[in-house]
Amino acid sequence: MRYCEACHISIEGSIEYCPLCQSRLSGEPEEDSYPILLPGRKPYRLVVRILAMITIIAAVVCAVVNLSLPQDGWWSLFVMAGLASAWLSLGMTIRRRRNPMKAALWHLGLVSVLLLLWDWFTGRRGWSIHFVLPVFYSCMQFAVAIAAWVLRLRPSDYMLYLLLCVLAGFLPLILLFCGLLQIMYPSAVCGGISVIFLAALLLFRGSALKNELARRLHL
Amino acid sequence: MKSKGSQRWWKLDNAAKIFPSSTSRHNSKVFRFVCELQENVDPQILQAALDQTVERFPIYRSVMKRGLFWYYLEDSTLRARVRSEDLPPCFPIYPSIRRGLLFRVLYYKKRIILEVYHALTDGAGALQFLRTLVCAYLLARFPDAFVPPYPTVLPDASEWQKQADSFQKYYEKPAGRRLYLPGNAYRMRGSRLPKNHLAVLEGQIPLAKALCCARERGITLTELMTAVLIRAIHERMSLRDMKKPVVISIPVNLRSYFPSKSARNFFATIQVSYDFSRQEDSLDAVAAHVRETFQSNLTKEYLRARINTLCALEHSIPLRLVPLPVKDIVLRIANLLAMRGVTSSFSNVGKVSMPPPMERMIRRFSVLTCAGVLQACACSYGESYVVSFAGPFREHEVERTFFRELAGLGLEIVLTTNFPSEGEVN
Ligand SMILES: [Zn+2]
Repeated sequence: MRYCEACHISIEGSIEYCPLCQSRLSGEPEEDSYPILLPGRKPYRLVVRILAMITIIAAVVCAVVNLSLPQDGWWSLFVMAGLASAWLSLGMTIRRRRNPMKAALWHLGLVSVLLLLWDWFTGRRGWSIHFVLPVFYSCMQFAVAIAAWVLRLRPSDYMLYLLLCVLAGFLPLILLFCGLLQIMYPSAVCGGISVIFLAALLLFRGSALKNELARRLHL
Repeated sequence: MKSKGSQRWWKLDNAAKIFPSSTSRHNSKVFRFVCELQENVDPQILQAALDQTVERFPIYRSVMKRGLFWYYLEDSTLRARVRSEDLPPCFPIYPSIRRGLLFRVLYYKKRIILEVYHALTDGAGALQFLRTLVCAYLLARFPDAFVPPYPTVLPDASEWQKQADSFQKYYEKPAGRRLYLPGNAYRMRGSRLPKNHLAVLEGQIPLAKALCCARERGITLTELMTAVLIRAIHERMSLRDMKKPVVISIPVNLRSYFPSKSARNFFATIQVSYDFSRQEDSLDAVAAHVRETFQSNLTKEYLRARINTLCALEHSIPLRLVPLPVKDIVLRIANLLAMRGVTSSFSNVGKVSMPPPMERMIRRFSVLTCAGVLQACACSYGESYVVSFAGPFREHEVERTFFRELAGLGLEIVLTTNFPSEGEVN
């Protein structure tokens, strides 16, 4: 046990100076009650930084080339928007890496917004709402359902996310009924798949679905 | 408990409802209990004891989830693993990237450490868990030292009683609702340790002598410690600071006032406010004021009014209907405002008891908590009374004045700290 003459207090451990007044302690050191912790390393940091640096270099090179040869139009803006989209998606994946279902759902939202923006700013030809989104929503329903099955998730770990993916599949159908679409079959197929998935959920996982909603919506 | 169908889940209790929203970088809302044995801990036996203990406290197997309106606890299949102490004290538990259990059990040399996220339970509830764990550990570690009937610390409480939210039981709708903003209290400042680090200083004091000191003045031990703490904070205040009062918040275990066997949160806080610009700064004057506040606030009527105020929030229909992301922001701001009215806190967990045959195998218990400012906690076991300070600051002026004053009262103090020695990493 060590002793501080100034404070008249005994101190356990191997510490050299009084924690209260910083004067040198007398007496024999003992073993410490707390471990000495060294700052931990964050595994992803370096890789992410290198990727960020490469992205910045690529964007700058494109911008410089584009500014030097302006006759081809402002194509470098598309490159930058593409890189930004890729980073948004990567960031979301890293943030949600422990919960793949939630990551999938966030991607569903993010990709939808990005597709609409790309379509809007590249001539508003409507390819996003006519083809890409219906196909994307259909695939997401299968992907989430298969992932839940393969990973043997419990209902509480996938039910809400699967339900929201299925409900998203009805969005193209709504556009269809509002008469906003000229090409109907992708949206109709997507809506059909959603109806089948919803029916399957209600028929075979009805009570689990009810329980999940009771938990998530309790007041 | 709601358990129709497969998976069990629990609503958060009243006190816990605010914790997930108000957890922040410097305020992990995690508290720690330490049980120091006479010899080194055996991790394998501790793991077996932990498995047994979790069986008896099913809510410790739950994880936190977000609903549309509130957070809730959901039963999981995760297994709690004991680990060698490899994190700073009271390291954040929730939110984390990996969805995990809301408590952790660590060991280091002779110490068994239980860290709990406050949304799961309060000090009294966690202590119940730790005592059960230590009891199971000692039984397995020294099988020959005990004869049937084997000692046990389990309360005579049913599953249902342990999981009950006792706030709901004692809530009655208040006649008129008063919403008041707390006044501004003096706030300690200082240079902070790196994120998530906590400086811990535990002072062990002989219980009998400390009780004597308190009785000489005609006050209780908690009142004496609160008074010494108020004076220690005063020591570092400038004249300008003294325009604001020193406010110490004191959590009260409601189980001592309202019958409850809940293993979840069931506490309320009372506040002692001392204004050094108008009141004297002698120990006797502060102690007398503390005693007065304690006596007027620690009554069933006052505490019932506190319960009603706490529950009114949760029972207000408009607030309940607000979606969780908005609630998060509102509750965070409300918490920040409430924090401005508090300088520090002192929580006395009280006397920890273990079955008599085990007493000589345990050296002491201690408790500490992380709440963003310098905090003091205390508990007593056998002949030792341990006061622990935990705070995010590099300076330890308050602790120095506090322990020096106690030494001046003739108490022999033994300090333990986690500060690095000279030359080690900060
Ligand atoms: Zn000293």
